[in-house]
Formats: sequence, structure tokens, C-alpha cells
Amino acid sequence: MAEQSDEMLVDSSRAGDLGAFKRLVLRHEGKVAGVVRSMLGSTPEAEDVGQEVFIRFYEALNKFRGDSSVGTYLTRIAINLSLNEIKRRKRRFSFFGSEEEGSRAPAHEDQRDLKEMLSYEFGRLDPDFRAVATLRLVEGYSTEETASLLGIPLGTVLSRLARGQKKLRMALEKHLK
Amino acid sequence: MDEKNEELYLRSLDGRIGDTEGAQLSAAKETDSRLQIRMDQFVKVRAMLLRQGEDSFGPFFAERIINRIKSVKKEIDYQVFFFFKKYQMAAIGVVVALLVLNIIYADRLTIKSVLGFEEEQIDNIVTIDLYQDLTK
Repeated sequence: MAEQSDEMLVDSSRAGDLGAFKRLVLRHEGKVAGVVRSMLGSTPEAEDVGQEVFIRFYEALNKFRGDSSVGTYLTRIAINLSLNEIKRRKRRFSFFGSEEEGSRAPAHEDQRDLKEMLSYEFGRLDPDFRAVATLRLVEGYSTEETASLLGIPLGTVLSRLARGQKKLRMALEKHLK
Repeated sequence: MDEKNEELYLRSLDGRIGDTEGAQLSAAKETDSRLQIRMDQFVKVRAMLLRQGEDSFGPFFAERIINRIKSVKKEIDYQVFFFFKKYQMAAIGVVVALLVLNIIYADRLTIKSVLGFEEEQIDNIVTIDLYQDLTK
């Protein structure tokens, strides 16, 4: 049997076919996990946000008109919910008076390999820079697509990308020394 | 100057740069070894960040989603049931009160009185005189 397209699965899901929706989840879990983990790190909240992305999508099935692909639609929800979670985290950590990123820092700097270090530094980027970098550098969206997904001008995408990459490059240089 | 060329290089990776800027960047690459090192570092950072392969939330993620949807649906059904149950009870109360009123008003316990139908009074029943004179 030929594989059903996303649009067909969305139609079946709208009609109440949970099996069709499950196939959509399985098909797009990887993308959503990539975006959410890139934004939040591999934290316990990441899966909660991932679940919330698909629940929101399910609730919005009737509003989904197919102007963008399912993957793009889910990515947009994932980025927005991740940014909300970061704000919530900040409020929580500022209330309890501790540093958000401190808990993510590995105990011994020299034990970190390059990828871990980069992932750590990525997590320390300003959330707005992180969102741009996630879409463009991690997920491989074009700068135009990134601008459209985040609803910001192309110039802002380019400047945030440049600033984010400079910080990461400096961290890399420091690590290599 | 270093900073400007760095900006230019990043823009060439993420956007488009004009021919003049492209030539300027190429010339800078030839002469500035520090810029070349930085450019290599940018490439390395980007290569390491780019997602390799599929990520996942672990086994049974889809099942957990479906179970959540099912439990939310059940919860909604339950809420709808209880929302209407309140009104059902009130409606039943009103109907019972009306039936009781009907009985009191009719002062007798018959099906018609309970349902509020007016019972014909015996005086109003038209009788046919079977003995009327048909010859008239």
C-alpha cells in the first residue's frame, strides 16, 4: 500500500482517526525532537514540550489549512512553546535565585568534548538567537524560511545569526587553546 | 577590518553578497591568515551544529500522545455529561412539580388528570335520546 501523504493523514485525523494522527506523530517526531532539544537541551521538560506540540496540533487540526507543510507548522509550534518554556524557566530560576544555565554546565571543563562544549555554549545563547540558530544552523532552513517561521525580518535573522555564530566561534577558539 | 570581513563572510554563508563584496572577501582571505582560521572555525561550528540523522523522544512517544488525547477526550465527555446532568435534574424536577400540580388542580388521580388533560364533566356530555320520536 502506498504511503499516505501528510494531507491525507490530516484529513483522516480530522475525521477522528487516531491511528492516522499517530502516523503523523511518528513521521514528525524526529523534527520536533530536534527543534525542542536544540532549544531546551536534553532536559525532562523537552519531552513535555514535545508532547504539547502534538497536542496543540491535534487541537488545531480544524484550523490547519495546509498553507505550510505539516513539518513547518509543527516546527513553528515547537519554537514558540520552547521559547515559552525558556521564559517560564527564567521566572522559576530567578524566583529561586539560581542560574538557569549553571545546572547544565558539566563539572569539569576539560572532560567535555568539543560537541558537548558547543552544545553547552549553544544553550547559553540568548533564546532569540538560539531560535534563529536552531532553525538555520541545526535544522537547515534557509534564512528566508527562518524569517518567515519566526515572523521577523530577514535582516534580524542575519544579524542574530552572525552574533550567535561569533559567540560560538569564540567559545570554540577558547576550547581549542 | 578583521571584524568587517568576518561579517562579510558570515553574510556570504547565510545570505547573498554582491560581486564587489565577494572580491573583497577573496582578497582578504589571501592576505589575512587570521581571517582564514576564523572562517575555518565558523565552518567547523556550523558542521557540528547541523543535525545528523533523526532525533527522538524515546520509545512509545507516539503512544503517549495518543493516550493523552484519549484521556483528554474522556475528560471532556465526562464534563459534558455532568454539565448537562445538572440541567437534566432541574428539568425532571420541573416536570414532577407540574404533574403534582395537575393532580392537585384536578383533585383526582387519573392518567388524564396527571397529564393535565381536562376531563369532561358528566353534565356536559351530550346524550342522544334514543327514544326520540323519529316520526317527527
